[in-house]
Amino acid sequence: MVGIPRGLLFYRFYWLWKTFLEELGVEVRVSPPTNKAIIRRGLTYGVEEICFPVKVFLGHVMAIQDEVDFLFLPRMVSFHRREYTCPKILGLPDLVRNLFGISSERIITGEVNMRDTGIWGWRQGFLEMGRRFTRQEGKIMRALKRAEEAHKRYREKLKTGILPEHLIDRREEVVPKEKKVLLLGHTYLISDSYINMNIVQKIHTLGYGVVTQDMVDEQRVRKYLSLLQKPSFWTISNEIMGTALLYLKERDPRLKGYIHLVSFECGPDSLVGEVIERWIKRESETLPYLRLEIDEHTGEAGLLTRLEAFVDMMEWRDAHLESNLSSSLAP
Amino acid sequence: MRATFPHLLHLDVALGILYPTLGIEIVPPPPLTRKTIEIGVKLAPQNACFPLKVTLGNFVESIEKGADTLFMAGGVGPCRFGYYGQIQRLILEDLGYKVQFILLDHPRYGIRSFVQALRTMTGGKISPARIVRATALAWKVLRFTETIEAKRRALRCLVERKDALDRVVEGTLTRLRWVESVTALEEIIRSTEEALRALPLVREEGEVLKVGIVGEVYVAQEKRINFDVERLLGDLGVYVHNSVSTVEYILHTLPFTRSREKEETWRLARPYLQRFVGGEGIDSVGSAIRYAQWGFDGVVHLYPFTCMPEIVAKGILTQVSKDYDLPILHLAIDEHAGEAGLITRVEAFVDVLERRKKTRRKSEVGRAWTYS
Ligand code: SF4
Ligand code: SF4
Repeated sequence: MVGIPRGLLFYRFYWLWKTFLEELGVEVRVSPPTNKAIIRRGLTYGVEEICFPVKVFLGHVMAIQDEVDFLFLPRMVSFHRREYTCPKILGLPDLVRNLFGISSERIITGEVNMRDTGIWGWRQGFLEMGRRFTRQEGKIMRALKRAEEAHKRYREKLKTGILPEHLIDRREEVVPKEKKVLLLGHTYLISDSYINMNIVQKIHTLGYGVVTQDMVDEQRVRKYLSLLQKPSFWTISNEIMGTALLYLKERDPRLKGYIHLVSFECGPDSLVGEVIERWIKRESETLPYLRLEIDEHTGEAGLLTRLEAFVDMMEWRDAHLESNLSSSLAP
Repeated sequence: MRATFPHLLHLDVALGILYPTLGIEIVPPPPLTRKTIEIGVKLAPQNACFPLKVTLGNFVESIEKGADTLFMAGGVGPCRFGYYGQIQRLILEDLGYKVQFILLDHPRYGIRSFVQALRTMTGGKISPARIVRATALAWKVLRFTETIEAKRRALRCLVERKDALDRVVEGTLTRLRWVESVTALEEIIRSTEEALRALPLVREEGEVLKVGIVGEVYVAQEKRINFDVERLLGDLGVYVHNSVSTVEYILHTLPFTRSREKEETWRLARPYLQRFVGGEGIDSVGSAIRYAQWGFDGVVHLYPFTCMPEIVAKGILTQVSKDYDLPILHLAIDEHAGEAGLITRVEAFVDVLERRKKTRRKSEVGRAWTYS
């Protein structure tokens, strides 16, 4: 049996990985949704100072490692040409191995790297991992093809406004709302409702639906990204920035504000947040922007207070601007 | 055009030679002080890594001295460094500074922008031969600034008079700023070596504790922000070696100039960390192992707080430390790091090394005695 820790890129590639392994005849087990014990372990046995999402991931590794024969830890170096994932994700299999003393034999890994070689580098990674189970390359490639199809379907479903965790755990979906906020951030923050204290639900209760970068057409996101003099080299960060720019340029009257979930120790977030905020200012955007840090110290009460204040601001602005508009339109 | 660039230890000495020969008027960055750090911290994103903040402080101070063109190295990831220039540009533009940013991107990925940057630099008026000559001299000077710092950190615990050592080194660094030819440089090298040889020693290399430094390229070298840990160690009687070097860093950007030593470092790291993770993460792991093999007593790991590659390295070094029985002191540096706390930790670390060395010696003596 092969275990997949529920964390980091899991939320992006769950269907791809799972289908790939199952097509190779492997039984897959995913660690349970994040809970208190998982976080506690991640905090105790992880590396001090490392970002919260990696700590959570390490907690998931601990939660599942004794129940499975192998851990599935693909080294997702890059899944977009000329771009990278973050350094911590690059070193993830090594981190797990050294921190928990897990032997290399028990770790299924392979370098998936599209940065320079595109699809070739992608396939090489999966071939390497597939070879742990079969010698027939044809079989591996077929499994990968199926997996890619499943991944595509998954990504398409996300476009309809569903969050990864709702799809993965078949949880109840939230009904769409007329007014929306743009919820930006790494999917592992947005889609782990335990660590983000159910933020989507909270926003919903306050009367707003959410749009995330995963719900927007990638091509359009990329188009707007090119407005930057130099985009970053992190795929997810680029998607976040591109989405923010898209909504800055193409107004959507239903969109009332931006909420950006970040981690304190996250390298990419620290710079990307700055770019977005400065662009908002430069475009003299009047929609409010809220940056929320999600980590082990985030308190539920504090989070709610900040959300409520933010909603008040959006509403005030709406009413204010609307009356302004109507008065200026009056003869 | 009045150009400037950020500090990195003695990089300003080399660039101060290079740019004027290329016909570029420069505004040397004012000395890096508390003030520089304060400026950078105030303007930069709160959670950005420390080198971004300090170099931003350099830029602002230089601009206030009249600089209008900023040189900054670029990059293609995966680490934040490659994005520093963009962020700094946004910040400076929003402050209303009218400056030109010249980003020296990695030539392998942006040969056009690289060549263009060089063109803009020289205004296209300087002959290629002259560019080559000037670059070669600046390069040699940079190398020598590193050699002489290496000598200083190695000799500090051995010499009778530490102030005499500092005088030689500082004197040479000042003279290097005025070097105009390779012959003159060679003369400086010769006389410096002579002066260093003349310093009376009171201890021998074999009897002192040895500590190696690993870490991120900026913080591990820039003594003005790492509280001069090397000096502190030297004053505590420790022989210091630093594995981090700007020369190596530059050489490493091109595949065909990589040094054998660097390749070896990566090879050593492989059993623990299989690939490059940005910055100096893999170098930190490999160099620590090398220090263990050299029989060093301990390693000091210097990095900016929240530095991504170094945190990966830190997680992995825990295992290296166990496997090689090598004590490692991790020091995260940022604007909140306090000097007093750092000194206490370094002293405590040296104490531990001292005690380990003594017990080891005793057990060796004991063994020898039983055998006889
Ligand atoms: S992108 Fe940020 S949050 Fe994600 S692993 Fe890297 S540092 Fe952590
Ligand atoms: S190596 Fe560290 S300090 Fe340098 S850019 Fe990367 S995260 Fe920042």
